[in-house]
Order: sequence, then structure tokens, then C-alpha cells
Amino acid sequence: MWTIEVWQMIGRGIFESLYMTLVSTLFGYVLGLPWGVVLAVTDEGGIKPNRPVYRVLDFITNIMRSIPFLILLILIIPLTRMIVGKSYGSTATIVPLVVSAAPFIARMVESSLKEVDKGVIEAAQSMGADTFQIILHVLLVEARVSLVTGATICLGTILGYSAMAGTVGGGGLGSIAIQYGYYRYQADIMVVTVVLLVLLQQIFQLAGMTIASGIDRRRS
Amino acid sequence: MDYIVEVQHLYKTFRTKDAQVEALRDINLQVEKGDIYGIIGMSGAGKSTLVRCLNYLEVPTKGSVLVEGQPLSELSGPQLRKLRSQISMIFQSFNLLMQKSVIDNVCFPLRIQNMKPDQARAKARQLLSVVGLSDKENAFPSQLSGGQMQRVAIARALASDPKILLCDEATSALDPQTTQQILELLKKINEETGITIIIITHQMSVVRDICNHVAIIEDGVLVENGLVEDIFNHPKSRAGRYLVVEGKDPDEWEKARLDRERRRGEKDLLHEDRRIRIAFSSNSSFEPVIGNMVLHFGTPVNILRADTRDVKGVARGQMILGLPEDRQLQEEMIAWLIGRGLAVEEVDDDVDY
Repeated sequence: MWTIEVWQMIGRGIFESLYMTLVSTLFGYVLGLPWGVVLAVTDEGGIKPNRPVYRVLDFITNIMRSIPFLILLILIIPLTRMIVGKSYGSTATIVPLVVSAAPFIARMVESSLKEVDKGVIEAAQSMGADTFQIILHVLLVEARVSLVTGATICLGTILGYSAMAGTVGGGGLGSIAIQYGYYRYQADIMVVTVVLLVLLQQIFQLAGMTIASGIDRRRS
Repeated sequence: MDYIVEVQHLYKTFRTKDAQVEALRDINLQVEKGDIYGIIGMSGAGKSTLVRCLNYLEVPTKGSVLVEGQPLSELSGPQLRKLRSQISMIFQSFNLLMQKSVIDNVCFPLRIQNMKPDQARAKARQLLSVVGLSDKENAFPSQLSGGQMQRVAIARALASDPKILLCDEATSALDPQTTQQILELLKKINEETGITIIIITHQMSVVRDICNHVAIIEDGVLVENGLVEDIFNHPKSRAGRYLVVEGKDPDEWEKARLDRERRRGEKDLLHEDRRIRIAFSSNSSFEPVIGNMVLHFGTPVNILRADTRDVKGVARGQMILGLPEDRQLQEEMIAWLIGRGLAVEEVDDDVDY
């Protein structure tokens, strides 16, 4: 039952899960970070309010966030094929994961940046800083603890989504849990994969929080 | 006379959903180069809005702001930002970057102007020594006291070699002793660099201690302005009288007004003496004027209030006297006091003592 092959498969599952989660989060931020910055900056009360831009981006963000992940996964199969060349396996799963994570990340970034003290922004404006300098040297720096906390939450969410993608041939630990636990009634393997997913989640959380408090200079 | 800052017929109206608030109405003032100019008023009187109009963080609804003769409304975005580096600002809540060290905070305005990092740090070190915080350069703002944070903010404000320093309630969050130290520091910087300082405050003591000129703002209107000394000797507006005669800070004005209304009825029943306020200047405070007056006229006067203060190193004082009933004697006494070089004025019903 617990043959070497099974352990190898679980090992590969861990690797695939990590691969999907980390790469998707990375690309999610490549899209979501500037997206969130634009949302925070153009909103009323932002440093460069622009109603039309905010309205449009806000609407797109809401639309994308309201499509359930599993539907999105199927909906964008043509896009996935175009980018990766196939629609199954862990690399293919990264595409829907990124599309789903980016608007979520954008919202996280937006809310982090909106927490930055208005007085500090005003001080930078009074020194003659332009919009880009304020984003770079004030917003992203002052909000960094909140940004890291947000990234931790995103990482956990994307790990969960990646497991969900396993049900439709996405690979990783979720895929193993479905195949063995659901189709073959091998509950023990399913339990092991679930425990591993929980462990991964714990590690992400711990690492994220450690980094967040490590870079916070507000405590003496 | 060339003014470094000139405000002409400035109005600022804020529009909310269903109302509009006139925060400032027809403000006119001129600030001389190298001056320390105080703007005093109650919280919500519009003084913070006014100071933000001086660097166009708030754009006036009407009227103009001129800095060194240049109307700010004519500047493009980049030109305005360039000018802002010449008009620094410090704040009540310090507004330091909490995630950056003290020295990085001071370097910040220089980084914005693309100064080389080592050059910026050298300058920041020098400024930290000016404000007496050389030993804190690697500390973070959260490790500092309020007074220390404001010193960092001052060093940061000076980094770009500004011509004007705007202080928005810069000492309001500090205890009296720290306030004194910060005011002394500002005064020292003003004397050494010739920087023009504009101070927004609701504390008369701040104006008294370091300002040369003062403007009194009440409900968005400039009710009186001029030399601190002149306003001290002859406050013309009601707000000025509250400030000077009663030593009441703007936040107490409303209460004073209400108290008076309540007492007005009772007062009419009492016999009213004629009351005058006399202000001592530096030379007259050594002479026992009132004593001499009483001896001279052989009639006592009632001293209703008396106090002297150290104003910019010179003893200044004021006294409120209740004069005898005899109308002619009253006039003689007033003439006698004026003859002694004192500023004398009637105290009307509008002022408590």
C-alpha cells in the first residue's frame, strides 16, 4: 500500500503544489501590484484622483472577483491553451490561478495603500514629490508590513485554489487527494495529502508573519 | 517693501454633497522676508486651510497667493513642485516616515530632488546636529519622544534649504516645556538662516514668544493683523481683545462670549466704574506709575487685574484699572498716564478681566 511509488507521487505532489502556488503568486503580483496601486491612487481621496479610471478598474476587478474559480478555470481554457499549449497539468493551472489571484491581490494592495497616514503623504507633497515618487518612496514603504501580511493571505488562498484545480487535472496535492480519496476510496492517502496541505498553509503563514514583524520599524 | 508671501482677496469654499462651507473669506496679508509671522485662531477657523493655500496643497477658490511676487496659480505642475521644495512645512502630528530611520527621513526631500545618497547623508548629518539629534540618526521615529520627532521634522524641512517654513500647529501636540524648546530652535534657525517662518497656532503664548507679526483669524475672516507689539498694546478687534486683554486662547472665546451674555443682566444692576487698560512698555515698567498717580491725585484707583510677562526678553505688562466716579478726574488721570508714555484705552463691556 505505502509503497515507494506512492511516496514519490506525494513528493511530486508537494513540489507541484509549491510550484503552482509560488509562481502564480509571483505573476499575480506582477499584475495585481500595479493594478492595486492604480486603484488606490485614482480613488477619491487618493493622491491622483481620477474618477473614470477608478470606476472602470473597480468594475473590472469586481467582475473578475465574482467569477467562481472553478468556472474561471474552464472558461479560460482557450487562453490557457494559447499560453501553455495544453489545458491540464500544473503549469497550465498557473494561468487561471494568476487570472483569479490578480484582482484579489489588487484589492489587498489597494486596501494596504489606503491605510497609509494621509499626513505623511501630505508632507511628501509639501516637499514637492510627484505622484510616482510618493508611490515609490511613501506608499509602498509605509505600507510594507500590511503588504506582506496581504501577500501571506494571498499565498494561502492561492494554495487552496491550486488544490481545487486538482479536481480537474491540475496536478499537485489536491489532484492526489481527489484521485485516491474520492475515486479510489483510499482515505489514508487523502488524509496524508490534506495534512500536508495544512502543513504548507501553516508554513506560509508563519513565514509571512515572521517577515512582516521583522520589517516593521514602528516598534522600538 | 518686497514681500516674500502675499495673499490677496483669498477665498476658499469647500463643497460637500448638499452644502458649501466658506472656510476663508477675503483674506489679505503680507509677510516680509525673514519675518516670523503668526496666524492665530480657533480650531476650525480656517487657519490650516490658509497655510495650505500658501503652497497650493489647497487651491484657493478665488484670489491669489504670491510667493516672491510669483502668482502660484500661474505655475505648471512641475514648476509648483519645484517651488514647494522652497516652502517646507512641519505639522502637528510630525508626519515622519515611520518605516524609515531618522537620517533617511531627513534625506527624503533630498532624494526627491535626486541628490546623491552620500551627499544627502552628509547634509542630513549636519542638520541633525543643528537640531541636536546627532546621536539618533539610526533610530526610528517610534523610538523618539514627540519633541524629538518634531526636531527630526524640522531637520527634514530644512534639508532643501527652503526660503519659507510653514508650521501647522507644530507645537500643539507637545508639552509646554518641549514647546518652549522647539520655539527656541525655530527662533535660532530664523536668526541664523534668515528663513521666513509662518506659524499657525491656537496658542497666544506661541505668538507672544516668537512672532513679530500676527494675523487673527475668526470664522474664516482675518479680523486684525499687524505687529505683535501693536496688537498687544492696542487690540482693535474683539478677538484681539480676548487674546491680549484676557489672555484667552481662541478655544476659550466661545465660552467667554456665552459667559458674558449670561452675566450681562446682573451686571446692569451693579454700579459700573469706568475701566481702562494700560499697557506697559519696556521703559515704563520700572517706574511705580500707579503708585505715583494715586499720590499725585490723592484718590485711590481700583486695580482689577494686573500681570506682566516676559515677551521676547523684555518685561511687558498690562493692568486694568477701575477709575473713580468723578468724570473730570477720570480724564485727568488718563491724560496723566498718557503723559507717562503708557498706552491707555477704554475697556468696554465686551471684555472680562
